[in-house]
Amino acid sequence: MMRKFFYPSSIAVFGVKDNPKNLAKNIIANCDKMKFKGNIFPVGRSTGKVSGRTIITDPHALAKDIDLAVILVPADMVAETLEICGQKGIRYAIVSSGGFREFSKNENTAEKNVVAIAKQYGIRFIGPNCIGVICTNSGLCTPFSPLQPKNFKKGNVSLVCQSGGVSIQIAYHFSEEHLGFSKIISIGNKLDLDETDYLSYLLEDQETSQIHFYLESIDHGRKLMQLARETEKPIIVYKSNIGSTSSEVARSHTAALSSDDRIINGAFRQTGIIRAESIHDMTVCAKALQLKPLTGDQLVVISLSGGFSVILGDACENYGFSCPQLPPELISDIESFRRGGVIQMSNPMDFGDVHNYEGLIFTLEKCLALDFIDGMVLSLMYDPDMARLFGTEDEAYNTILEFLSKISQRFNKPIALSFFAERRYIDAFKKSNVFPVFNDPVESVRALRKNRDYWKVKKKYS
Amino acid sequence: MNILNKALSENRFVLTEYEAKKVLAEYGIPVSKEILVDSETALMDAVRNIGFPVVIKGCDPKFVHKSEKDLIRTDIRYEKEAIAAFHDIQARMTGVSGGVLVQEMIMGKRELVAGLIRDSQFGPSVMFGIGGIFTEIFNDVVFRIAPIDKSDALGMMEEIRGKRILEAVRGLEPVDREQLSNLLVRIGQIGMENEMIQEIDINPIIISKGRGIAVDAMIVLKSL
Repeated sequence: MMRKFFYPSSIAVFGVKDNPKNLAKNIIANCDKMKFKGNIFPVGRSTGKVSGRTIITDPHALAKDIDLAVILVPADMVAETLEICGQKGIRYAIVSSGGFREFSKNENTAEKNVVAIAKQYGIRFIGPNCIGVICTNSGLCTPFSPLQPKNFKKGNVSLVCQSGGVSIQIAYHFSEEHLGFSKIISIGNKLDLDETDYLSYLLEDQETSQIHFYLESIDHGRKLMQLARETEKPIIVYKSNIGSTSSEVARSHTAALSSDDRIINGAFRQTGIIRAESIHDMTVCAKALQLKPLTGDQLVVISLSGGFSVILGDACENYGFSCPQLPPELISDIESFRRGGVIQMSNPMDFGDVHNYEGLIFTLEKCLALDFIDGMVLSLMYDPDMARLFGTEDEAYNTILEFLSKISQRFNKPIALSFFAERRYIDAFKKSNVFPVFNDPVESVRALRKNRDYWKVKKKYS
Repeated sequence: MNILNKALSENRFVLTEYEAKKVLAEYGIPVSKEILVDSETALMDAVRNIGFPVVIKGCDPKFVHKSEKDLIRTDIRYEKEAIAAFHDIQARMTGVSGGVLVQEMIMGKRELVAGLIRDSQFGPSVMFGIGGIFTEIFNDVVFRIAPIDKSDALGMMEEIRGKRILEAVRGLEPVDREQLSNLLVRIGQIGMENEMIQEIDINPIIISKGRGIAVDAMIVLKSL
């Protein structure tokens, strides 16, 4: 039922004015910049033109078949605007206006009126106090601040955010990390639709393979848990507003020690919802869950740097992994590839003395084939000189990542990959998007922890 | 449950320790053996029945944190001591209705806490962590949403920072995780089956011969 929030054939934008300070006109400009194909009708009180379109001053003159209204008018005028929508047969609305409960905790008649009118006409709405929807496939882009949507990258992650500003930063950061997204929904005050409604829709959405949330409150905890248990799609939540809310007059220790945050942590752990700690961490989670499932805690760590193999050994321990000894025959086979014979091989493995690809390929395959090894952490070096082996640089990026993707598939074990190289080369690997690349070695181990935590629970319910 | 309904009918929203443990025992949670007494004769009968050493406590729902009110005498080994403790505690309880509780002294060095809270968004949630006087100091507790199963309970034991307390440390036997997980599962079950229970606190759970026993407990009912 929510499809029209993302794929409306036409939209009406209320609150538009031909004035440099007007915000609603940015909604139209953003949709244009993102190449939204549907019709856009600006509605306002005074005549004029925005983005080459004439402002409609008599809303009753609006066409009959409009799918979606985007409303940015003062809070006390939202209800009457919705009423016009209702009369015009518009059944979906994004109420961007602020000034409701987030502004005043007192009796809020504007809010009550909005709910009543929506109910009367059967209008479902997002918000209020939000920036609505960004849908990379349809080009619908309803934020009212000027954006650069041409940089948004298409993909299969969808995000639900209880903050407009965070939504926009997520759109930019995911795109800069070369992680494409399908839909971003800024949900505002959740006066009508709430996070579980959006989740239910996205769980069925063919274009969405992972669902991420930024939430400041959770309204239907049990329902969220139930949906998370039933789905095959990973759910990642960045939950803020974690200050202790435990009662000061608590009679029991349990009440005194309970906080929203602790209870949420428990709920998430039970249902395999992965908790992110920042916007960047959401991208780490997104990549982590693109890897093959990690089904145990035993890893093999290989780095082309002795230093990073030590750092990675620490990281494995910190994140609850172990790096078991490898069979002596395998170690001596690997050691035969050394050039100087000056480094002892073990796990974590300092690969700095092996300077040929045959040796690396042999080692990766033999290690992944070991029954007791559940996954691999790989920290490679890259320099454009190496690209000569592959032809062009672009070919190098693709060839290396395709090879790793294939052996990860073949052994059905995850490889957490990072590079030490100039930032622009690391970025080029990420951009090629053939296989997940983490920004640094420790981050790659953290990603495996998230992957493991997810699959531990998923296997239990499968 | 009768105990809960009785309290509500008397307009009481906090059960006494004695009542709370009856509720726990009904769900198969091991509790310390105890007898409520109101006279010296009853005290002596109780002491003989339970056997030394005993603990003697004031038992009234008004005293939520009994140790702070100096209403607990532990490790009582002689009749004279028991009588003195009984009168002393009775004297400290003037003006309240509760009796005095004679309890078997559970010997054990490790104290854990478990409990339940009915969260407004997630419903009944089970707590587990480090108990006794360290509860507030270390703040080392984790929650799971009820109902919980054995693997949830085992996960809780793995998640606390002080999880090594459950191992065979310093010559102590390892904690029977099976038994402890059963205890946590039952707490969740109490929360699921008794809508009127708002909070449960079991603190401490003393580990004795590897098994957890509820030594003190309280239950708070929903005050509508």
